[in-house]
Amino acid sequence: MTAKKATKRVSKHATKRVCIDVGGTFTDCLVLDESGELTKFKAATTPKDPSTGFINSIEKAARHYQLSLRGFLSTVDILIHGTTLATNTLITGTGAKTAMLTTKDFRDILEIRRGIKPIGISLYNIFIPPNRPLVPRSRRIGIQERTLYTGEVVTPLNEQQVAESVRTLSRDGVESLAICFLHSYKNPSHERRAAEIAREVAPDMYVTTSCESLSMWREFERFNTTVVGAYVGPVVTNYLNTLTARLKDGGFKGSLLMMLANGLVQPVDQCINRAVYLLDSGPAAAPAGAIYLGKLSGQNNLISVDMGGTSFDVCQIKAGQVPTTTERWEGDQRIAIKMVDLETLGAGGGSIAGIDALGLLKVGPQSAGADPGPACYGTGTLPTVTDADVLLGYIPHDYFLGGEIKLDLELAKKAMRVVGDPLKLDPIAAAEAVFKSVNAAMADKITEVSTKRGHDVRDFVLVAGGGGGPSHAGFIADLLGMPTVVVPSVAALFSAFGMFAMDPGEDYARSFVARVATLDIGAMNKLYEEMEKEARASFKAIGVPDRDITLSRTADMRYVGQFHEVETSVPSGKLTRKQLDETVAKFSREHETLYTFGMPWQPVEILSLRLKATAAKAPFALRKIEKGGRNASAALKRRRKCRFDGKDVETAVYDGDRLKAGNMFAGPAIVEETTMTVVVPRGYRCKVDDFKNYVLTRQ
Amino acid sequence: MTKAKKGNGKTVAARKAAVKKPAAKKTASRGSVLRRPKTDATTIATVWHSMQTICREMRHVIDRTAQNFLISQLHDISVGLWDSKGTTIAVAVGLPPQFLGAGFAVKALLEKFGDDIAPGDVFLTNDPYHGGHCCHLPDWAFFRPIFYKGKLEFFTMARAHQQDTGGSYPGGYFPNGFDIHAEGICIPPTRVIKRGRVRKDVLDLVWNNVRFPKGVQIDNYAMLAACKRADERIVSLLDKYGRETVLDCVKQMIGRTERAVREEIRKIPDGTYYGESATDDDGTELDVPVSVRVDITVKGDEMTVDFSKSDAQRKGFINSIYAATYGNAFAAVILTIDPALADYHNEGTMIPVHIVAPPGSVCNAQYPATVGASPVNVGNQIMESVLQALSKARPDRAVAAWGKHRGDYVFGVDHRTNERYVRTSFDYDGSSGAVAGFDGYQGVSCLTALGAVSRGDVEEMEIRLPWRLVKYEMMPDFAGAGKWRGGPGIYWAAINQGSDSGIATGSSDGDEVQGFGALGGEPSPKSRTYIVHGEEKKRLKPHRLDTVKTGDMVEKFSSGGGGVGNAAERDPEMVREDVENELVSFQAAREVYKVVIDPATLRVDERATRALRAGH
Repeated sequence: MTAKKATKRVSKHATKRVCIDVGGTFTDCLVLDESGELTKFKAATTPKDPSTGFINSIEKAARHYQLSLRGFLSTVDILIHGTTLATNTLITGTGAKTAMLTTKDFRDILEIRRGIKPIGISLYNIFIPPNRPLVPRSRRIGIQERTLYTGEVVTPLNEQQVAESVRTLSRDGVESLAICFLHSYKNPSHERRAAEIAREVAPDMYVTTSCESLSMWREFERFNTTVVGAYVGPVVTNYLNTLTARLKDGGFKGSLLMMLANGLVQPVDQCINRAVYLLDSGPAAAPAGAIYLGKLSGQNNLISVDMGGTSFDVCQIKAGQVPTTTERWEGDQRIAIKMVDLETLGAGGGSIAGIDALGLLKVGPQSAGADPGPACYGTGTLPTVTDADVLLGYIPHDYFLGGEIKLDLELAKKAMRVVGDPLKLDPIAAAEAVFKSVNAAMADKITEVSTKRGHDVRDFVLVAGGGGGPSHAGFIADLLGMPTVVVPSVAALFSAFGMFAMDPGEDYARSFVARVATLDIGAMNKLYEEMEKEARASFKAIGVPDRDITLSRTADMRYVGQFHEVETSVPSGKLTRKQLDETVAKFSREHETLYTFGMPWQPVEILSLRLKATAAKAPFALRKIEKGGRNASAALKRRRKCRFDGKDVETAVYDGDRLKAGNMFAGPAIVEETTMTVVVPRGYRCKVDDFKNYVLTRQ
Repeated sequence: MTKAKKGNGKTVAARKAAVKKPAAKKTASRGSVLRRPKTDATTIATVWHSMQTICREMRHVIDRTAQNFLISQLHDISVGLWDSKGTTIAVAVGLPPQFLGAGFAVKALLEKFGDDIAPGDVFLTNDPYHGGHCCHLPDWAFFRPIFYKGKLEFFTMARAHQQDTGGSYPGGYFPNGFDIHAEGICIPPTRVIKRGRVRKDVLDLVWNNVRFPKGVQIDNYAMLAACKRADERIVSLLDKYGRETVLDCVKQMIGRTERAVREEIRKIPDGTYYGESATDDDGTELDVPVSVRVDITVKGDEMTVDFSKSDAQRKGFINSIYAATYGNAFAAVILTIDPALADYHNEGTMIPVHIVAPPGSVCNAQYPATVGASPVNVGNQIMESVLQALSKARPDRAVAAWGKHRGDYVFGVDHRTNERYVRTSFDYDGSSGAVAGFDGYQGVSCLTALGAVSRGDVEEMEIRLPWRLVKYEMMPDFAGAGKWRGGPGIYWAAINQGSDSGIATGSSDGDEVQGFGALGGEPSPKSRTYIVHGEEKKRLKPHRLDTVKTGDMVEKFSSGGGGVGNAAERDPEMVREDVENELVSFQAAREVYKVVIDPATLRVDERATRALRAGH
């Protein structure tokens, strides 16, 4: 009955909403239809032109609804899209031929890069290749101009030199241009003028400026961020233009919203010129999905993990807020825009196990990827995490992707000897060592993410997504002593699901350097108001009325003399001195939570003011499944031999499709679904909730 | 050769500091290698990585909360973990002279306080002598014992370069001090927190003896917070795995590392390898170089690094105490060991390597010698000489000298705030040297910091300090050429817009003595610093004190690193790329690299190049 009611409640939508996440291997498509039903579709990603895979996945959905592509698209009002295109373009080094116009006599900021050695390389390892910036020195042109930190111009822009340089670069086949001048966050006039000239001289060139990419002080961080955007810009723009055209041709009249790095979504035309914001588009959605699922069970302290083929993304969510950072490195590139604070470990189903220099077992970061893939797929020869999962009996070799792919146990066994023999372990024992070792690495990563913020991981609920998450999460939670794990039914399409839960919106920031004791509140209010005005105008353009917009203010604060800020929330409306003092007290408390101490005697200063503008997403609800009793035996599919803690156990295997809300069973147990396998370790009890999430609770 | 014998190798000071422990410790860890491990490999790896992570988190806490530019932005910080006897366990992030020899200080602390060490205690020291084993006075260290269920199990340390440490001039890098007391306050190992309660009177005594006491206080709190965080984390690690398991993991890791390092040493042919390097002068006796000389004797799987032939300790401030020499020498040895081991170094690395420096040597200075400049000079010379010797021993791991540190301290008044300031930075350093297989890395500064430190941003510097940058760029033809060339040299110039200010070039070096190239690579070129006052341009040598007037420009030509291998064997395409990037001139391409490049097309003239390289 409840299920019916739920259907009724959401049936007020006359249209469909679709979220599409284009990953490295699969394009995931989730459709929320008029009846409130959430249906999953997967198509192969087409790397040459990802818009083909995108359309293919929609065609699959259209067939499901017995509609033509046109017929289907005409019923879609919102299409949210995440893509790893920008990230992949950066990681694989396939971006545009990019050049840079920068302040004369400072053209090596990008290459000297504050003297930082590659992140993640040990202090004691100097046998590494030199840094290769995205723009080589020969394409970094010093332009006569200089602005001071006060905004005062001491050397006017040499417009003729700009025009001549762009002409030469264009002749040399440069496709993309980053304009990066010192102190442009304070006075952007030179950058803006140079961009105008460049667009005039070379209309086909992708032109971006540092002040529009990130209007913040500290030039290495700002310039590098801008250059990354310029580097991926043309590829991303071409793709988005093709995609919009194909959708329009297909009869799509709704709005196409892009998933951004900061965990918000924005209409496609607003981000086409700021491609850097499309990094992590996709993975950045996962935490929003976790928050949504957490709310269903009243939990808002969560750790969202996404275990894919090559990587394991971790995001810690405190009080239901998606955390963000401005300190990201993507490989060798520093990106200083605000991004969802995901940390990634190079460990996933495809991670290869080996023996390191000290004779210890090591898993990843090398990955067998999709090609050759894990040994059990038939083409690889090196042991991977997936091979271990299969050998331990967790992943059914006869029911992988619902039996679509048959897995070869013997090949997995043979490969596992590569690590088993040196460790004097038989293949199954070696598989268990690989399994435990990768779990330990993932658990360590979670601890690192969590402890870095000063939180005890045991106070959090683990929400597990990705293809591998459901099989490993229970064990990771066990290692960490985490009491609860939620494995959502949409785990395998976790990012796409997250996009449903996303609020459209944007982040704004202004530099505002002032000591709290003496600052000009009027000026501060004015900056907030300015940003709010900008945000309202931006929403108005996509038809969102003022009353639907939520504006939240923060300020980056620190004790005078410190170099790093703590982002502290600031009340809205006209700010008073008293409210400001309360904000300072809040900052001090936050500092103590993060770093074990506060310094109430020390004056506090503000560095930047920030505004987050969001519009509430259209309401949506997951459909409830049929209620059943505690007894799950009706869904018992079979018993299978699995290895737990060195012992073979005849393990109960449940059919996910037959489980009902309220069913409960104790580990060790396994749930088989077409897109995933949930492993419930010993010591955990699994309960199926109303929305068919598997909730594992430590006994 | 007799020095190669174990035990005899150590100096009096080292032996005294080590108190009979080495022998006992060696047997223990050797035994563990032979014994069948009772802890499984997964647990060992897990515990090990957790300890590395704890170190990184410690640095993060300091980095986020400190107020000193050098600490927070440039990372002049070291942190680590030692066991209850001073055995080195985790030294993941830091500066070699600051922390690789910190085990000596732990041992001295145990000797001094014995049983009188309680949970929640914290000890502060910055003294090179009297049990502090600190390389120079600005590097203050907080040591915190970590107890588990009432038993002392570990020590953690946070050491960082303070903004000021008292003494005749701000900053701690000024030449010509009368003795160590002129360089600043000397704090022997002193309890500053007793069972969790801050001994405010003791700390006030300390802070009262430095300039900028409020700032130093903030930085000290940041360091104390890092130690507290490490304590919390280690205790929860012990809770999770149990005391026995964690201690066994540590023992196993040390055993495994020792075995792997011995294998590496065994790959070097037995024999004695020589290296030497010099600093321009000692800052007191001007323009007379001071030399560090090393004989590295390899026999089987052990190595003795002997500095006996080095100059005697000097009146000037370039003297290195044994613990600092030990740290720098080790770091240099580690660099030439298989990079796959880079994440694992610990006491096990140190067991088969013996560092010898006779007391009274510039590499084992005795009280009351001044030591202010020693992290740079002769710290850099210690590393250079060891690397030079080992480049001969293992050509496949040859390392050339890095650009010398070109630091200075400026102290004046910022007119905008009327506040005093001290500026120091790594902004005006060159780049690292080449290694066999790769060109030098761009912009990383200072061999004795191993790239752990960072440079500032131009915009940040202009906002924070009364200086306007005029130019900051890499320079062509200003690094050691070679088959693999040094990272580029850097030109830096800025105008003083604050008051007339003092400038101390104590942390500079390399105007005269060049950093070596390896395997026939060219050395790192000479560097220069000038003060430009109107039309007048005055050269400012290292280890000097001078004045920069309002409106003066300071100009620095800081050379890049040395090269590895013969320049005429460099891949012509790499030379072409350097020419295109204006890092190598057409002329140098032809004369040094023997590559002819057509200025019109920027292509390699292959025929002319072949002819030139054949010697025609």
